[in-house]
Amino acid sequence: MAVTLPEVVEELLSDMMAAVRENARIPDEHLLSLKFLFGSSAMQALDLVDRKSITLISSPSGRRVYQVLGSSGKTYTCLMSCHYCSCPAFAFSVLRKNESLLCKHLLAVYLSQITGTCQQLSISDKQLTNMLLTEEEQDQKGTE
Amino acid sequence: MAELLRRMLNAGCAGGPAEENAVDAGPPLMLLGGLGSGKTALLFAAALEVAGEGRGPVLFLARRPLQSLPFRSGAALDPLRLQKIHFQYPPSTRKLFRFLCSAHEARGPAPALLLLDCLEEYLTECHQPQEAAHLAALLLDTAAHFSHRAGPRGGCGLMVALQTQDEADSGDTLQLALLQRYFPSCCWLQPIASDPGQRHLRACLELGGPDPQTVWSVTLGPDGSMTVTLLSTEMGNPSSDKATSSGVGQSL
Repeated sequence: MAVTLPEVVEELLSDMMAAVRENARIPDEHLLSLKFLFGSSAMQALDLVDRKSITLISSPSGRRVYQVLGSSGKTYTCLMSCHYCSCPAFAFSVLRKNESLLCKHLLAVYLSQITGTCQQLSISDKQLTNMLLTEEEQDQKGTE
Repeated sequence: MAELLRRMLNAGCAGGPAEENAVDAGPPLMLLGGLGSGKTALLFAAALEVAGEGRGPVLFLARRPLQSLPFRSGAALDPLRLQKIHFQYPPSTRKLFRFLCSAHEARGPAPALLLLDCLEEYLTECHQPQEAAHLAALLLDTAAHFSHRAGPRGGCGLMVALQTQDEADSGDTLQLALLQRYFPSCCWLQPIASDPGQRHLRACLELGGPDPQTVWSVTLGPDGSMTVTLLSTEMGNPSSDKATSSGVGQSL
């Protein structure tokens, strides 16, 4: 299912959150579980978190979207309400092959929430519309 | 939204209308069926139901205006309810995307229900699976935003209708699997033999996961009224002629 995380992942994330609150770091055992559940995306996601690549973008309307600066320098938009990412890995591994649950960007968003390392940016309602639309235009370009 | 449909269709049965989580519309729901299987009628029935709840308005998105109201009696004639249903007709997928991406700019009370008819027409303009997923995700995200705006005592349900072909090709199957990722709760509609002037449908609700299927028989009368009978809550293949003891006709 795309819209909710499996229980095992929810549990791990919530355990990680509790541990970080106590010790300000993610315990090794949680990192191992993360690798087990997400494979190579786990380390890549942690790397994105370390580089502070995740930004929570919100507007006065209260609508929010996440942007992740990928390792290639491209920015991807993530809808966390239902798990969607504009990156090619999401389209391939998650949607097409159903191999992965989340791409590294979506996972990075969750991890940045846990570690409290998410940047924040406030923009106007109109700017948020344009940001969401740009992703759609990129979809269109991909078909040309 | 699946809960809303279940509640609406169960309204005549033992469950009764008073439920504590009346405001919780439940997960988003996808109606599936061929031409004339009653999808638009059900969307409209959901619109009337929510419009009468005293919460926010209903947003009904479709490719083109309804030729005629699916119902012509009871709640369908209540002008106060009809006033609360706001119709929009995005003429292209691009316009639909624009509408959803800018939904947070709108002022006024947050909608309590978001409906989309003719999803298949919008999907024909999505040439890549990622675009179809993006559209589904934006629909969910927009409903989530409306829910957030409505606050703790409100929520926005989401229901979409997708016309299916009798002979699905592999592309259709892939696209459906993708949509079910975002809409795990599905209601399959099938017309069954009708008398002149009356339409009989079979509605099979699958909430996704281990929950059993629920099957109803729905009859749309010549005056547009809707009668609903619960047939079965068995898992697997329900027998279509078996009515449970709580099956009661409900006129809407």
